[in-house]
Amino acid sequence: MNNLTSNKGRVYYIICYVLVFLIALTFLFPLYWIITGSFKVKQEILSATPVWIPTQWVTTNFENLFAKRSAPLFEIGSLVGPTIPGALRWLLNTVFMSAVSMLVTCLTAAMAGYALAKKRFYGRTILFSLIVAAMALPKQVILIPLLREMSSLHLYDTIWAVIIPIIGWPFGVFLIRQFAEGIPTEMVEACRIDGASEWRTFTDVMFPMIKPGVGACAIFTFINSWNDYFMQLIMLTSTKNLTISLGIATMQGENSTDFGLIMAGSALASVPIIIVFIIFQKYFTKGITMGAVKG
Amino acid sequence: MKPRTSAGRLTSRSLVLHENVAAYLFLLPFLIFFVGFVLYPMFMCVYTSFFDATMGREDIFIAFANYKELFNDEVFWIALKNTLVIVLVSVPVTCAFSLWVASVISKMPIAATSVFRCIFYLPVVTGSVAVTMVWKWMFNNYYGIFNYLGQNMGLIDKPINWLGDTRYALGCIILILLTTSVGQPIVLYVSALDNVDKSLVEAAEVDGATPFQAFWKVKWPQMMPTTLYILVITTINSFQCFALIQLLTSGGPKNSTMTIMYYIYYNAFKLYRYGYGNAMGVILAIIIAILSAVQFRLGREK
Amino acid sequence: MKKILAIALALCMIFAQAVVVAPTAEAADGVTISLWTYPIGKWTDEATVKGFIEEFNAVHPEINVVVEYLDYTNGDDKVNTAIEGGNAPDIIMEGPERLIANWGAKGLMLDLADMVPEGTYEGVVSSCTNAEGAVYELPVCMTAHCMAINYEAFEAADALQYIFFFNHTATTENFFKAVQAVYDAGSPYVGTVYCGGQGGDQGTRALVTNLYGGTYANPEHTEYTYASEENAKALAALCAQDGITFDPSIVASDEIQNFVNGTFQMAFCWNATQEVNNADALTFDVFPMAFPAEDGVPSLQGGIWGYGIFDNKDEARAEAAKTFIKFLVDDDAEYAKVVEATNFQPVRDVEGVYEGNELMAEYALMNPMMGDYYQITKGWTQARTEWWNMLQRVGDSDGSAETILAELQTAQDAANAAAAAE
Repeated sequence: MNNLTSNKGRVYYIICYVLVFLIALTFLFPLYWIITGSFKVKQEILSATPVWIPTQWVTTNFENLFAKRSAPLFEIGSLVGPTIPGALRWLLNTVFMSAVSMLVTCLTAAMAGYALAKKRFYGRTILFSLIVAAMALPKQVILIPLLREMSSLHLYDTIWAVIIPIIGWPFGVFLIRQFAEGIPTEMVEACRIDGASEWRTFTDVMFPMIKPGVGACAIFTFINSWNDYFMQLIMLTSTKNLTISLGIATMQGENSTDFGLIMAGSALASVPIIIVFIIFQKYFTKGITMGAVKG
Repeated sequence: MKPRTSAGRLTSRSLVLHENVAAYLFLLPFLIFFVGFVLYPMFMCVYTSFFDATMGREDIFIAFANYKELFNDEVFWIALKNTLVIVLVSVPVTCAFSLWVASVISKMPIAATSVFRCIFYLPVVTGSVAVTMVWKWMFNNYYGIFNYLGQNMGLIDKPINWLGDTRYALGCIILILLTTSVGQPIVLYVSALDNVDKSLVEAAEVDGATPFQAFWKVKWPQMMPTTLYILVITTINSFQCFALIQLLTSGGPKNSTMTIMYYIYYNAFKLYRYGYGNAMGVILAIIIAILSAVQFRLGREK
Repeated sequence: MKKILAIALALCMIFAQAVVVAPTAEAADGVTISLWTYPIGKWTDEATVKGFIEEFNAVHPEINVVVEYLDYTNGDDKVNTAIEGGNAPDIIMEGPERLIANWGAKGLMLDLADMVPEGTYEGVVSSCTNAEGAVYELPVCMTAHCMAINYEAFEAADALQYIFFFNHTATTENFFKAVQAVYDAGSPYVGTVYCGGQGGDQGTRALVTNLYGGTYANPEHTEYTYASEENAKALAALCAQDGITFDPSIVASDEIQNFVNGTFQMAFCWNATQEVNNADALTFDVFPMAFPAEDGVPSLQGGIWGYGIFDNKDEARAEAAKTFIKFLVDDDAEYAKVVEATNFQPVRDVEGVYEGNELMAEYALMNPMMGDYYQITKGWTQARTEWWNMLQRVGDSDGSAETILAELQTAQDAANAAAAAE
C-alpha cells in the first residue's frame, strides 16, 4: 500500500500526525492538571500564576479525602464490616454500580439488539420508534416519577435505584442493533438451516460477530453510569451508599470550593475507568466485517 | 425499512409464530427494565405536562395551558435557539473531527492507535466536574491560559472575558462540549475503519483509485451504520447539554448560553414547576425524535 | 477474558449481597431519625457531628441519629426531590432561611414556635416568625455578611485613610476614593460585582442597597422594592468607577478565590467562615469591613441558620427530632459548643462562647449593624435569579441611571409577579 501513496500523500499524513499529536496534548492537559493539582498545596492551587509542576508534592488532599468521612466496608444484615475511609467505600460503590450496570446491560442489550436487527416480529417498528423516542427524552424530566417509583419499591437510597434505570436506558440496544444490522442475514439463516437452536444461533454465530459492538457497549455503559451524576444525586443519600463524585461534592463548604479535594477525588476515580478501558480496548479490533452490508 | 429478504422465506404460519416468540424471548430481559423504568416514567412525564404540578399539593388539570405558556415564553425561545446553534455546530464538527482523527490514528501502529484512542477518550473518563473546572480556569478572565497565550502571541491586546461575554460564551461551551464528546465517535470510527472489507479497498486501489476516492467510494458507505449511530447519539447529547451550563454559566451572560435542558432544570428543580418543565421536555423530545427520524431516512437513502 | 469476567461476576455477587441488604436493620425498640445538614462551619465535619450525636446518645440511647451531609451546589435539588419522593429527612440544618420558609408555607414543616429558647434575641425570633406566628426554623446561629479588603494592598495605595477602623466601616464617598486610590496604585481589579449565578448574591445585594440607602424589599416583606432611584444611583456609580467591574463569568466562590490569591483587592462575599476556611492560603492580612453607606451606618444582610423538622406524619420520629434539637440548644454549655462548631455568632447571650477568640470578636463587631431580614419575602427564588440577571444586563449597558432604573424595574416586576403567584 505504501508504494502507492505519492509524496504529496506522505506530506499530508505527516502534517496530520503532527496535528493529531498537538490536539492530543490539549486532551491530555486536563488530566495532567488534575493529577498534579491533587498533589499541590492550597496556595498553589489557588494561585493566579499557573504552577505547571508542584514545587512541593504533598498528599494533604488525599489525606483529607480519606479522613473526612468514614463508612463501613460492608453490611450484611446485622453484620457490619470494619470502618474504612468513606472515599474507599464510595469508590467500591461506584465500581460495583458501573460493573453491574455494564454486565447486565451488555447481556440484555446484545439479546434485544440482535432481535431488533435480525428478527421479524409484530411491533418491531413501534418498539424501535419507542426506543429512539425514549433516548430523546431528557432524563431530568423522568427523574421525579422514577424517584416515586423507586421509593414505592423500597429501592430509594440503594445502589439499585441507580443501576436499574441504566439497564433500561436503550442506548446499548440501539448501539448493538446498529452493529447487528451490518451482519449478513444469510449467515444467521444458514445456521438455522443447519438446525441450530435459536439460543445456539445467538451464542455461537451472532455473539462473536457483534463482539466489538458489545465491547463498545460495555465501555460506554460503564463510563456513562460512572458519570451519571444527576441520577446518583437524586437517588442516593446515606454516606455509605454514595458514589465517589457525589461524596466529594458533600465535602464542599459554602462559597468555597476545595479544588484540591475535587482533583484528588477525580484522579482517584479515573484510575478504575482507565483500567476498564484498557481491558476492553482489544475488543474493538476483533471485529468481523462489521457494516459490510449497506443499510 | 430493510428489504424483507428473510420474511419472504418464512411463509408458513408456524414459522412466523416461532419467529415472534423467539424475538420476544430475546427482548424480554431488556423489555422488563425498559418498560418499567423508562417507558412508565416517560408516560408519567407526558401525563404531568397537562397539569399544574408543584410541590406539596395535588396536581391541577390544565390541559394545554403549559404548552400555551411555552409559546409565549421569551426565554424558552432563546433557549431553543441556543440549543439549535449548539446542535448545528457540534454535530457536524464532532462527526467530521472524529472521522478525521480516527482515519489518521488507525494508520498508525497498533500500540500507537491504542494510546491515542485512549487519550481522546480521557475527557470522557475524567468526569465532567473536574474537567469543567480545568476549562473554567483556562478561560478565566484574569489569569486564564487562553488570555495569557493570546496576549503573548499578540493575537489579542487585552484580556477577553471568554465566559462572561455574550459574543464568546456559547462558542466556549461548544468547544468544551466537543472535547468531551468526540471520545465515543473516535472509538467507534477506529473500529469501523478496521473492519472495512480490505479486499474491496485493495481492488479499488488496483483499479487506480486515489486513497481519497477509495475512502469515499469504498470505505465510507461501509461505515454508514456506525455513522448513523454517531449522528443520532451526538445529536441527542448536544440537545441535552446541561452539566457544562450548570457548572460554568448558569445560562448567562444575559441568557446567551441558556439551553432547553438547563431551562427545564431551572423550572422543575428551582421553581418546582414540574408540569411546565415536563411540557418543555416533551417538546424537546419531539424535536429530537423528528431529527433522528430524518437522519435515519437520509442514512438509508445513501 | 472469561476468567476475568467470572471473577468480576463473583466479586459483584458478594458485594451485591452487602448492598442489597443495606436498608438498615434497625433496633426494634428505638427510633431512627435522619439529620441532613448543609455545610455550616464544622457541621460538615464528620468528627464534630458524630461528637454531638455521641453526647446525645449518652443521654438518649433510644434515639438513633443518622447524619447525611449536603452541599450548597446540589443540596437543594436533593432535598426537593426527596420531599417529592416521600423521603424527606426528619431534621434539616439549613442555611440562610432560603428554603425552610418555603417548605413551611407548603405545609411540609412542623411549627417550632414553642421550642425557641428563652433569651433568644428579639430581632432573630421575629425574623424567623412568619405572618401566622409559626416558626419553621429554630434559630441557632447568625452572622452579618460583610466585605473584606486586602489590608496590605490598601496600605500600599495609601487608601487606609478612608476607612473607619474603630467600627470597620466607610462612607460611600470614601469607599469610592479608596477604590480609586488602589486602582491608581496599579491594581486593575479592585472589586468585582460577580453575577454569574446566585451563589453569594447577598454580597452584591448588600453592596448596592447600602451605597445610597436603597432597599430590597418592603418592611412587611410582601413585595420587592429594589427598583429605586437610590439603587439605580448606586449601580451607576459602580459602573462608572475605575477598578470595579461587573463579571458575569464568576460567582461568589470564584470571587473569594480571586481575593485570596491577590487578584482582587476586596471581596463582597465574606464572613468569618471564609477567613477560617482560607487561612492556609491567605498570604496577606484580611480586614473585614461593613458595606459602605452614605452616613457610614450600613444595614447589613444577616444570615440565620437553624434546624427545621419535616412533618413526616410520624409522631414518634417528630418527638425524637424535637428531643434531639432541644438537647442541642436548650443547655447553655451544649449550645455554646454547637455555635462554635458553626463558626458563626450565637443568637442569645451565652457565656463562654468563643472565649479568647480574637477573630470571632472582630467579626462580632458587625452584629449590631444587622439590618432587615428580607429573605422571607415570597417569590424569593425568582427574585434571586432576576437580581443576578439584572446585574449582567446593567454591567453590559451604557451605565446611565435611566437605563439602570429600567432594568431594575423589569427585574422587580418579574420578582413581584412571582411573589404574587405564590
